[in-house]
Amino acid sequence: MGYLDGFRVTFKKLFEQRVTQQYPAEKQEKPVRLHGRHVLNRYEDGMEKCIGCELCAGVCPAKCIYVRGKDNPVDDPVSPGERYGFVYEINYLRCIHCDLCVEACPTEAITESKLFEFSFTNRYDAIYTRDELLVDGDGRPRQLPWEDWREGEDEWTSGWMRATSPSGDVAFENTVAWSGELGHGIRPPEQGQRADGGGE
Amino acid sequence: MSEAPADIEITDPVTITLDGRQVVVQRGALLIDACERNGVYIPRFCYHPRMRPVGMCRMCLVEVDTGRGASLQPSCMLQCSSDMVVDTQSDKTRKAQEGVLEFLLLNHPLDCPVCDRGGECPLQDQTVGYGPGETRFVDEKRHYEKPIAISRTVLLDRERCILCDRCTRFAKEVAGDPLIDFQDRGSRTQVNTFPNQPFASYFSGNTVQICPVGALTAEPYRFKARPWDLEIVESSCTTCSVGCRVTIQSSRNQVLRCLGVDSDPVNWGWLCDKGRYGVEALNAEGRLGVPLGRGRSVKTDDETALEEVSWAGALRTAADAITSALDRRGPEGVAVIGGARLTNEAQYAWVKLLKGVIGTDNLDAQLGDGIPAEIVLGLPLATIDDACRPGSTTVVVSGDPKEELPILYLRLRHAAVQDGVNLIEIGPKAGGLTPYATVAMHPLPGELADLVRAVVGGGAGGAVAGVDPASIERARSLLADTDGEMTLVVGRRSLSEDTGFTADAVSVLVSAYDKVRILPALRRANVLGALTMGMAPGVLPGRVALAAAPDAYSTRWPALPAGRGLDTTGILTAAAEGRIDTLILLGADPLTDFPDRDLAERALAGARNVIAVDQFVNDSVRLAEVVLPAAGFAECAGTTTNIEGRILKLEQSTTPPGTARPDWMIAAELAAELGSDLGLDSVEQIWKEIAELSPSHVDLTWEMLSDPQNRDGLVARGDPLPGSVRFEAPEPTAHRALDSYSLRLVATRKLYDEGTMVGRCRSCAGLAEETALAMNPHDFERLGVEDGGRVTVSSKRGSTVIEARGEAGVPRNSVALVVNAPNFDVGTLIDANDAVNEVRVEALQSVAGETGSEGGS
Amino acid sequence: MSGGPRIVSARWEIDDAWKLSRYLETGGYAGLRSALDMTPHEVHEEVRSATLLGRGGAGFPAGVKWGFCPPDVWPRYLVVNGDESEPGTYKDRILMERDPHQLIEGALICAYATGIAQVFLYVRGEMALAQERVASALNEAYEAGYIGRRILGTDFSVDVVMHWGAGAYIVGEETALIESLEGDRGMPRLKPPFFPAAKGLYMKPTIVNNVETLSNLPWILEHGSEAYTTIGSESSPGTRLFAISGHVERPGVHEVPQGVTTFRDLIYGDEYCGGIRKGHELKMFIPGGGSAPWFFPEHLDLPLEGKVVGGAGSMLGSGAIVVMDETTDAVSACWRLMRFFSRESCGECTPCREGTNWLETILRRILDGQGRPDDIDLLLDIGDNISPGPYPGPGWGAENPEPVPFPPQQTTICPLGPSAVAPLTSAIRRFRDEFEAKIAQGAAVSV
Repeated sequence: MGYLDGFRVTFKKLFEQRVTQQYPAEKQEKPVRLHGRHVLNRYEDGMEKCIGCELCAGVCPAKCIYVRGKDNPVDDPVSPGERYGFVYEINYLRCIHCDLCVEACPTEAITESKLFEFSFTNRYDAIYTRDELLVDGDGRPRQLPWEDWREGEDEWTSGWMRATSPSGDVAFENTVAWSGELGHGIRPPEQGQRADGGGE
Repeated sequence: MSEAPADIEITDPVTITLDGRQVVVQRGALLIDACERNGVYIPRFCYHPRMRPVGMCRMCLVEVDTGRGASLQPSCMLQCSSDMVVDTQSDKTRKAQEGVLEFLLLNHPLDCPVCDRGGECPLQDQTVGYGPGETRFVDEKRHYEKPIAISRTVLLDRERCILCDRCTRFAKEVAGDPLIDFQDRGSRTQVNTFPNQPFASYFSGNTVQICPVGALTAEPYRFKARPWDLEIVESSCTTCSVGCRVTIQSSRNQVLRCLGVDSDPVNWGWLCDKGRYGVEALNAEGRLGVPLGRGRSVKTDDETALEEVSWAGALRTAADAITSALDRRGPEGVAVIGGARLTNEAQYAWVKLLKGVIGTDNLDAQLGDGIPAEIVLGLPLATIDDACRPGSTTVVVSGDPKEELPILYLRLRHAAVQDGVNLIEIGPKAGGLTPYATVAMHPLPGELADLVRAVVGGGAGGAVAGVDPASIERARSLLADTDGEMTLVVGRRSLSEDTGFTADAVSVLVSAYDKVRILPALRRANVLGALTMGMAPGVLPGRVALAAAPDAYSTRWPALPAGRGLDTTGILTAAAEGRIDTLILLGADPLTDFPDRDLAERALAGARNVIAVDQFVNDSVRLAEVVLPAAGFAECAGTTTNIEGRILKLEQSTTPPGTARPDWMIAAELAAELGSDLGLDSVEQIWKEIAELSPSHVDLTWEMLSDPQNRDGLVARGDPLPGSVRFEAPEPTAHRALDSYSLRLVATRKLYDEGTMVGRCRSCAGLAEETALAMNPHDFERLGVEDGGRVTVSSKRGSTVIEARGEAGVPRNSVALVVNAPNFDVGTLIDANDAVNEVRVEALQSVAGETGSEGGS
Repeated sequence: MSGGPRIVSARWEIDDAWKLSRYLETGGYAGLRSALDMTPHEVHEEVRSATLLGRGGAGFPAGVKWGFCPPDVWPRYLVVNGDESEPGTYKDRILMERDPHQLIEGALICAYATGIAQVFLYVRGEMALAQERVASALNEAYEAGYIGRRILGTDFSVDVVMHWGAGAYIVGEETALIESLEGDRGMPRLKPPFFPAAKGLYMKPTIVNNVETLSNLPWILEHGSEAYTTIGSESSPGTRLFAISGHVERPGVHEVPQGVTTFRDLIYGDEYCGGIRKGHELKMFIPGGGSAPWFFPEHLDLPLEGKVVGGAGSMLGSGAIVVMDETTDAVSACWRLMRFFSRESCGECTPCREGTNWLETILRRILDGQGRPDDIDLLLDIGDNISPGPYPGPGWGAENPEPVPFPPQQTTICPLGPSAVAPLTSAIRRFRDEFEAKIAQGAAVSV
């Protein structure tokens, strides 16, 4: 049959549903837990959640996070407690979006949005600073000029909350231990993580 | 940081059963130490090997059977005895450990993410290792006000405190400053200071280091970094000359903190706050990173500001200045003061440049505030351990070690309190050691030698130098019991008194007792290294006398000085008289540190060219023609020599700012600019040359110094060798008889002053106290002065109005002032050429009017 | 008061027995005189053969204790422990208020027997009247030559110093008392090496004796040890003071012969307490101070002797009996005791400092209706962590006749914390149902 075989495949595919999309005009919906660009969250009262503890930097396998803490100003505190994240930088040339920083964060301060389309023209722009990562006054991530945000990508930035026991107990049922988040309030903990599928 | 017990030699072995195996341990050793030496770590919080065990935390409970059945016993309290059966892994032990940890965590807040201790916290580590998985505590935790400042540098968070008694025990037992203690009882027990009495101890930083939780944190390091950020190297502190072993911890090329390392012969893990926080000066504002120079190289226009210049230009200027001095006056026209800050290698490089290339002997590392080099170099040296050997007798003829060499003070204090060492203190006035000294004598300025003669020879039995006969008699009997073997801690007692008196006193003691060893109490970082390397007139590297220089020097060095040069006082006098063309300041600030302010000012004005090598622009550097920026502590590798002659490695932790260079490199490049090759191109290679040339370093190879086994350093030969500098009994220094109007001036140091480095260390800068005129209250009436009243003090050099304060420890007929105090420069009263400086004190009428008109002057 | 032999309480009915004149009229200082006629060694032997047991709580023979002082180490000190603060105990207070000279005389006899020239009288801070009476007695005795230089013309000289505490239960512990006397915080010292007899006050050999113990000495020296041993039982001769409080008709301090009298005699006897208050019946009683495990009606026939009570799982301790009738809530009683221990813990050892506080918090929570089902096991396990024992073990409960092991094992330096656990454990064992009911009731309310 020779080359006609090839045409047959082509012809058959003409009538099948197309899997390709007109990217970037069209985009696929992203899963809730997609690991995209980070955001630094605020509490409902506008205080920053980050306490500058550097656990994210400590756990980061790519060593892309640089944090330095500082004493909260007494009359105008940035975060609750003694310490706040004074410097917060993520180098996106290094970040592998593994989400270990989110795991490590004791205050749910750093989470990831679903944005992964952002590009830079020089190395310095790839370092996101605290101002760029912080959510704005209504709890939404800042949309920077070089980022391609689409509808819904800034929602559920903290969509995945861990529900594991400190000691690794499988039967552990999480309770909401964190405060409300600016723009979102208190979210229920994610259920259904027990090995037996229980917990709902 | 390690708090592991020191290795010991087992002299009285007993066999115990440890977790089922037989091990041989020292009888009477603490079980907790014996287990750790045998590889079994027992968790603990309150136990610290350098302090008395108290058994408070109960974390170290283990099941022990001493023949009366197994029971839980605190291993930090239990001494090893034969046939002990110890089970550190039994169910009972594990349950006790879990129980104690659960108790400790009940009220311990979950501050770990914001706590400075998080990541290096014994409580965290041991909770992971020995604690229960989860807590059963559901109630409200104990609450206190979050950190309260208990001193300028220490913050206390009582919520985090687990009441282990380490800080309070340290303050009471080790430092002797019992300013913090437990208050309240039961679960409301807390550590705190007494009302309105801050924890103002020179050693307060140690409590932060030994705190097993983050209850005590250091303000200077607060939130600066997390443990995993830190790059750590082990080095030696060069704030003073005790040479405490430290770890330098840096992050992002910035030194953030220093922690003490337990070095058995030296600091036992302790540091003073000045050393601990002194590293802040490295990053201080005004740190020099580029060479500075003037628009024109000849000092014709003082208004020309110092501006940044290139290294090539700066070195050219400096070399030109030296060349022109050589042309005009020969080698004697060049003089150098300073150099005690440098590493041994840099000192050797500079000495080789100055004595071997330029050929001048006008070189002195001490700024007229030390003691004659012959005392240090011409007599056998002692170690700190010698001075603290249990049961021995140590004579202290120096300023107050607590103010000048704080860790030496801690060691001597421990020796006197715990080990029965008899201290005979012959200080300028009562100081830190006085309460612990068996005999404390405070002779009048100028009468030190008379007192020592009375002690040694026995006198008429009356008071000598204002010291009561009973003390003299007691000192005599103590010394008589020593078999002539004693350690003599000798330093500069007072800056307003000639060192000739000290030399007299030393010669009296040395001739009376045959086994006297010297522990120099000189405070500048590497002053021992400087003197040993030849940074004093008439000395060549290795304690060698210039007059008896062996052939090795003339063959390996291009030149040698023609004869003995001048010391600092001589150099400054010559400069003031216009006989010094080029004066090089090697990290020296004579305008602040030389005792005689007037002479220092005239000298700097009189020198044609001043070249400064320094880290900051201070008062003296401001007058320099050219300033070469030097690398500081932690910025260059090398070695340093402490007061015992111990050679300690210095490691590089960060890079110097800008283009600042290590001092030895500056010497080498200056030599190259002068057309000579020093042949020195690395620290290691310089050391090799030192070890080949210097008789006192002959056995010390770089490999030995670098060996981790020798991290406590190696003591260079401290005995006089053939050809060494000799200590000759000097002509007795004369002093005038006291007239009834004048008081003799005592000028002593405080730990915190306005020096170049301390003043730039943020945590220490504000701690310098204002000085008052301290005088014996018995003199008040005679002079018509009131305690707290204002008086005029005048010497032949100047006068000032200052507050008078009664201090019983000041000898009668003398007055004491503090050097480098923020409110008054005592140097303006001192004439360096006077053996004893005398002042007159007059009460200001407005304040002391009522006390009557008799007395006064 | 009873018709039995009266040794230390003989002068209690005399209003002014605290005055020297009255004391001398009633035979005072006769014991001292007869002691001074003997050699110190003979006096010591006399006391040793009287088997005078310490009345502070541990019940150690005084004569033996004196013998622990290392020979030829001088000076030695005698410290009189008048810091009586165990809940329910108030016998020493009465002794000091009513008959201070008897105590002073006893102290002097002890000093004579052991070669002591310096006595410290440590009186609890809150006992104002006792301090006053002791002070005035000391002044009178000094004036009359019973204290001071060359007492009664002999070569024996003693100085007595009174010191009053600042009110801390823990100072009743002898080494903590010594710390307090030295001016430090009252915290127990570590044993070894600081056994007071070897290294006590100012690191010198020190005898610490209770007020009641010393008050027995004048009688013993006057009447001889043989007369003393005829009273009471063989192993515990003499009489003892018991301070009875709680739901009895006549609470008070009673002197009874040791070993032969039973709890029933004491509580129900007409000459003593006269029974439980009308219309009520006994639920439980504390046989020897707040730290003793509780006893119940079945223990009433035990004799008042340390060894027997010890064998039954409690202690006579300081001789404080607290009687509780059926109106008493066991949980409340436990909480009240625990609050005392939690507040009085000196804060030195972790298990006691944190553990007693936690126990108190849980008991308070149960009382407030916030109890949790696991709390009873939690209480027992915390108790076990402070004082390791076999409990809670399988099958342990009311039906198990084994007594709570006593004295308790310790994880701490002194027995304060561990002994605070013992009454709680004995209460839970007996009244677990009450605890459970409280918790269930609380759960019902909170839902």
